[in-house]
Amino acid sequence: MNSVIHTFPYLVAGWVFLCGLYGIVTSRHLVHMVVSMAVLQTSTYILLLNIGFRQSGAAPVFADLPPSTRIVDPIVQALMLTDIVVEATVVALVLAFVVKAHENAGTLSPDDLRMMRG
Amino acid sequence: MTISPALPVALPMLAAAAIAGVRRWLSRAVVDAVAILTAATNLVMCALLLTRSWDAPIVYWFGNWFPRGRMVLGVGFVIDPVGAGLATLAALLMLLALIYSSSAMESGDNHYQPLMLVFLAAMSGFVLTGDLFNLFVFFELMSTAAFALCGLKVEEPAPLQGAFNFAVTNTVGAFFTLTGLAFVYAATGALNMAQIGSLLGSRHDTLVIGGYLFLITGFLIKSAAVPFHFWLADAHAVSPTPVCVLFSGIMVELGLFAILRVTNTMFRASMGPPHTALRDVLLTVGAVSAVWGGAMCFAEHHLKRLLAFSTISHAGAMMMALAVNTPAAIAGWLVYLFAHAMAKSGLFFTAGILLHRLRTMSEPLLFARGTKLRFTAALWLLGGCALAGLPPFAISLGEELTSSATKHSDASVVLMAAFLLSGTLTAAAVFRVFMRVFCGWGDHGPADRSAEVDELPEMHEQNRVIPARMFVPALLCVLFGTVPFLLPQAVSWSGVAAARMLDQQAYIRVVYGQARSAVAQSSLAADVWSALLHSLLAVACGAALAAAAVFHKAVPRRLRWASHMEGSMVWMRSLQSGHAGDYVVWTMAGFSLLGTALFLLR
Repeated sequence: MNSVIHTFPYLVAGWVFLCGLYGIVTSRHLVHMVVSMAVLQTSTYILLLNIGFRQSGAAPVFADLPPSTRIVDPIVQALMLTDIVVEATVVALVLAFVVKAHENAGTLSPDDLRMMRG
Repeated sequence: MTISPALPVALPMLAAAAIAGVRRWLSRAVVDAVAILTAATNLVMCALLLTRSWDAPIVYWFGNWFPRGRMVLGVGFVIDPVGAGLATLAALLMLLALIYSSSAMESGDNHYQPLMLVFLAAMSGFVLTGDLFNLFVFFELMSTAAFALCGLKVEEPAPLQGAFNFAVTNTVGAFFTLTGLAFVYAATGALNMAQIGSLLGSRHDTLVIGGYLFLITGFLIKSAAVPFHFWLADAHAVSPTPVCVLFSGIMVELGLFAILRVTNTMFRASMGPPHTALRDVLLTVGAVSAVWGGAMCFAEHHLKRLLAFSTISHAGAMMMALAVNTPAAIAGWLVYLFAHAMAKSGLFFTAGILLHRLRTMSEPLLFARGTKLRFTAALWLLGGCALAGLPPFAISLGEELTSSATKHSDASVVLMAAFLLSGTLTAAAVFRVFMRVFCGWGDHGPADRSAEVDELPEMHEQNRVIPARMFVPALLCVLFGTVPFLLPQAVSWSGVAAARMLDQQAYIRVVYGQARSAVAQSSLAADVWSALLHSLLAVACGAALAAAAVFHKAVPRRLRWASHMEGSMVWMRSLQSGHAGDYVVWTMAGFSLLGTALFLLR
């Protein structure tokens, strides 16, 4: 039972990763494609948090805990936060491209935007 | 005076923030001057760091968080000659690009100069850092600035398509890299590359191979290896000329640098010899990219896209040097990288001059319209010769060094053939454009869809003479490309830098503040005559192929395969579909193939 509990989050991370990729690949709408990218990103949060997880570990805030307390790994949480910030920028930028595509080309379908082929 | 190693990152960031904040009240000339001055300062600082890092890598811990015992606490920069050299090259190209675009290129509200400076800061941080997560953050910052620069001309649909595809594929790549980083952290509990290297040792299990696979997938996308390369042509075709120079000259190569850094600093003992899987896989990927990119380059008729495919081909050739991964091969890689950056930048600047004068990038539309542009023609022809490596241009020197590292092994045949094909095909495409556009020979040749994509002119001024700020960078690039050939020490210097890059144990010792290693000596020398012979062969084959395509009516009907290569490779071109989703499918296919190979051959 214990091993199931430990592997389950990894499976979820893998599943979400594949969902995001599937969404990007099959997308017929630019906003949908960007949101699929955000879904793909969520898998890295699950993976990172799970790697830092420790059974019955406390939150890594030592204000009212003795220093020897068992805690979950704070580093992966810092990585995750940084990742959120970086990716928020990317998503905002790509969405700005989408807005411009809608304004100038009047379309939100990736197929209509294909000027260059071959 | 000692320079803080953090300055090459901090200074452009601060300048970018300052410009972005107050540009409303400044004239265009002031903004350009500040940007150019910042890039020039960065160039000097990085060159000084390069000389200081020569004896031993510079280690700099932010906030003085020194390692305690074997435990690394802080985030640090570890500056070795290869990293500092690449930072210097990035600053040099940025300086030339900013000079080229100064005062005339339309930037409007697009924040062109601040984005360029952020791009420079990110590239500098990327090559100087010694921390894996820091590497990832600078990688993302570099990508984000690049996406914005690529989509600078948002009024047109084509740049939007290019920037969107570029952003989606590269961001997916970044998630692969982050997943790999998570695996590596799971395996070692460390983020400092030296600490990871010492903790991994020669461990070679599923977690390590999987982590490595995920990590390099993102970097393979950035370095445009086939089949991860589709975004590059779309992004290059629509970017402003100075941005193209930076993309082709340094950004793609930084993807290769990241593979080199990751492989040698962290995985040298676990993925390197005696395991040969990685070498074989990278060699195959490189050879396929070199040939595929070359063939696509010859089939292309949009000048910037043509040069973009040539970058894919040359990046593949450089990948093969990484696969061999001995001091001689990496020295060859360094020489090749510098020479290619200069040749390709020169060609892009020249294409920019053509765009400025003749208002199009389409080869059929340009037919015979460049006959009066003698100076531009000379620059273009020299650029073509440089791509084929004709001495005194140094690409052939790099090829010679790399293949000398594989003498008497089966890899040497693959290397030689791929180098020759890459040089021949890309030079043939450039020569063909030269014959049609500047000489007016033959006819206007076949058209293709991408060549019809119109590009609005980048500059609003119209002048009869080419302004100095445009041709001086092009000329300088062509001249700099000969430096490794004319400077006798260049080869042995790259040998020393390469030897330092490959010495994982010395790197780890330096990071932990232990005994500094003695200065490496290099007795590397390249066989100049052999380089001359190979490059002459490439130039001759390239010129013959170009002539066969241009004068296809004079060739007997059955032997017209040069014009077939130029016009009718429909199935190869149809893969370049322009849909980001398709590119991600190719990424997944490439990832699966790579993974299968690494695990089966382990």
